[in-house]
Amino acid sequence: MSKILTYLAVQDGKIKRASLEVLSHCRALAQEHGWTVESVLLHPDARSLATTAQQYGAETVYYMDHPQLQAHLNAPFLAALHAVITHANPHVVAFASSEAVKDMLGALAVRTQAAVLSDVASFHIIAGGVEAKRPVMASKLIARTQAQGARVLVSVRAGAYTAEEAPTEAALVPLPFTFDVDTLKQQVREVVQDALGTLDLSETQVVVAAGRGVKDEAGKALVTQLADTLGAAIGASRAVVESGLFPASAQVGQTGKVVSPDLYIAVGISGAIQHVAGMQNSRVIVAINKDGDAPIFNYATYGLVGDLYAVLPPLINEIKQVLPTTPE
Amino acid sequence: MKIAVCIKQVPDITAPLHIQNGALVFDTNRMVLNAYDASAVEAALVLLENREGSIHLFLLGPDRAKETIRKALAMGAHEATHLLVPDDAALDAYLSASLLAEQLKQHTFDILLCGKQSQDTDAGLTGTMLAEHLALPYATNAVGLTLEDDLVVATRQGDAGQEIMALETPCLVTCSNDMNNPRIPSIKGIMQSKRKPVQTISVTPDATPSTQVMGYEPLPERTPGVQWEGEPLELARRLVHHLNDEARVLS
Ligand SMILES: Cc1cc2nc3c(=O)[nH]c(=O)nc-3n(C[C@H](O)[C@H](O)[C@H](O)COP(=O)(O)OP(=O)(O)OC[C@H]3O[C@@H](n4cnc5c(N)ncnc54)[C@H](O)[C@@H]3O)c2cc1C
Ligand SMILES: Nc1ncnc2c1ncn2[C@@H]1O[C@H](COP(=O)(O)O)[C@@H](O)[C@H]1O
Repeated sequence: MSKILTYLAVQDGKIKRASLEVLSHCRALAQEHGWTVESVLLHPDARSLATTAQQYGAETVYYMDHPQLQAHLNAPFLAALHAVITHANPHVVAFASSEAVKDMLGALAVRTQAAVLSDVASFHIIAGGVEAKRPVMASKLIARTQAQGARVLVSVRAGAYTAEEAPTEAALVPLPFTFDVDTLKQQVREVVQDALGTLDLSETQVVVAAGRGVKDEAGKALVTQLADTLGAAIGASRAVVESGLFPASAQVGQTGKVVSPDLYIAVGISGAIQHVAGMQNSRVIVAINKDGDAPIFNYATYGLVGDLYAVLPPLINEIKQVLPTTPE
Repeated sequence: MKIAVCIKQVPDITAPLHIQNGALVFDTNRMVLNAYDASAVEAALVLLENREGSIHLFLLGPDRAKETIRKALAMGAHEATHLLVPDDAALDAYLSASLLAEQLKQHTFDILLCGKQSQDTDAGLTGTMLAEHLALPYATNAVGLTLEDDLVVATRQGDAGQEIMALETPCLVTCSNDMNNPRIPSIKGIMQSKRKPVQTISVTPDATPSTQVMGYEPLPERTPGVQWEGEPLELARRLVHHLNDEARVLS
């Protein structure tokens, strides 16, 4: 019987929601085609995290819990994934797209001699492979793309599917991690965490994003206040990351992150295609811009033409009044 | 210090385009140097600012990609290898990486630079595929790159923060355009580029690609939105009312 294997990425001690979204989709595909759906966890706490994988429908959970798998580094993770894929022999391996996955996917495809589709918006199984929709040309359109082969790797954009619980009695299968650290020719010297809130951009339902219209600390304070009021993560255009006002991990767009929250509020962002590529799938888009002709208004559900410095203070106030309880 | 840089010619994605019978039609036929690769070339030039060395470009593409090679030579790269394929050659990242790797194996270098992704397909696969073919340690999505004695130090933008990586040479780094602002070639650079050596080698993909685009589709339609002007307080009230009662995204 054919198998589909889902890689469950761990961040901040939890399985990423985006991975559970992919697992839910894989479970549905497996049901449709009479396949088996399995998962893999690579983390020192993999065993306890595996219960979450069971809740979301994995029939078997392979795991490696070696301390070396605490934080991302391509060489050991590649070795681990290669070993699991060789052992489980799945037809399709699905990932939630992230920088860590982008850091491995091409190399893993070569190592496992698999066809590969990265950053798809959706995928399904066809005879002999996988068909996916991939946003291309800075997400101006969709390429319907097929991958053929005995093995196909596919990475999926966050928010493409909904995570739904479907408890199973999955078997937990520990696998040995054999990686010789002496062969490592690279080292992580330091990880500099960005000091901007704790909310993960690609996992929250509301994003408040700042652009060059946000000129100074006072503007940044307004954006932060709006985000805090809404319990939102903070995003940014490339312009304000470059200026140093916002950290690089906040960048939304072709170079940065792709998000699709329920609500995306673009504050002082013009709407260049490279930015829009990262946010156009948000359910509701609000644009606040003083230039009524800014391209961002072509994407906005609600567009406010006005100076952000004048609009944000009353907006924050009004939102506080309708919210049942304002998060502190 | 020898630096190899893989560069790709891509269509200008900012130009208007449309879909005709599932095929992609560009209204202008403008082709450009992939922006991420321009950053890779810039990074190489910066590394060699106070150091002896040379920059060797590798491009796989049809005849018209010559322009793109010239552009990168005009920025300051020293020489190039053009792996020439017919205009309609079917290639995907997997095949491209195999062809590039085969060629790169015949050269020595300390650092191999790529763009983090192609601007047209956003695949982001070729770099790590090359690293695997060539058994090189690597870092992707670099926003900073320096040399320290024998080590290459790359700052990589990870999911939650920046990872500062030290790599032994030879190694591979894929570059983000957030790393630098690529220089515009000077007139002198453009003149000199015409005399720089470009070796052209015809190659034939020995397989059909495992991935194929079957057709293009427009994005799902969005319902057109509304646009309001007015007093800030009035705007704020109207928006909150709509977000709360119509879109139901507040709660
Ligand atoms: C290969 C490549 C990749 C890229 N990747 C990305 C990416 O991932 N993400 C990204 O964001 N960009 C990316 N860019 C850059 C992109 O092209 C734009 O340059 C960038 O998005 C512009 O940012 P902005 O909208 O903040 O600035 P601007 O375009 O300068 O717009 C500022 C806007 O703010 C408005 N404004 C000014 N003052 C006020 C005020 N007081 N109140 C209200 N409105 C005000 C102005 O009317 C204007 O519309 C990329 C570019 C390239 C070439
Ligand atoms: N045809 C090509 N010729 C040379 N380099 C390429 C080619 N295709 C891809 N690359 C390199 O691989 C990077 C990522 O490509 P991709 O996997 O297509 O997103 C590019 O930025 C280039 O550095």
